[in-house]
Amino acid sequence: MAYQNKKFFNRRKICRFCVDDDLNMDYKEPKALKQFITERGKIIPRRITGTCAKHQRELSTTIKRARHIALLPFVGKF
Amino acid sequence: MRKYETIFISNSDLQEKKQKELFEKAQNVITQQGGVVINFDEWGNKKLAYEIKKKSHGFYVCMAYGGDGKVVDELERIFRLDDNIMKFMTILKKEIVDLDEELAKSANKTKTETKEEAEPKTKEEAKTEIETQAETE
Repeated sequence: MAYQNKKFFNRRKICRFCVDDDLNMDYKEPKALKQFITERGKIIPRRITGTCAKHQRELSTTIKRARHIALLPFVGKF
Repeated sequence: MRKYETIFISNSDLQEKKQKELFEKAQNVITQQGGVVINFDEWGNKKLAYEIKKKSHGFYVCMAYGGDGKVVDELERIFRLDDNIMKFMTILKKEIVDLDEELAKSANKTKTETKEEAEPKTKEEAKTEIETQAETE
């Protein structure tokens, strides 16, 4: 019962890459990757986005690749 | 034979003639080392996410090719020597590659680019088929 009284409730997070087959990870498409980084350019942790471990690992390498080739910023806007 | 993908940013202020020479040189290096160029894609001038060598724009080129590690070594060596190449990155796409298949694919891609509208429709159809199957079950 105590859990029900809590102000927030846990919305079940689902890995978007597992659900959506059309959504593929590619360092050449920075627009899609931008959903998974903050305004400052940091990679958002999976406890917030809900991405599964396997895909988060893949995601982090693709974001780092995109950064290396100047498609995504290392440090975002100030 | 492995499939590699190299993406490089060349100087956007380069004259067209010199730019062509540069791209031909890159392709020649691959063929000289026993590689095969599968796809040569010029993205054109793009804004960089951060400044490289005090420049905010660059000319992106992405090429896919089949070859051994030798090809990559030589290509990267030449890129490092060239001042007009601001940055480059090579990625291993596949360990074992079927060249005929890849070449056919890249040839198809250029053809289907005009037919892109037709493709998603078929996907939708496939989805509805699956749905109808589920309903019948």
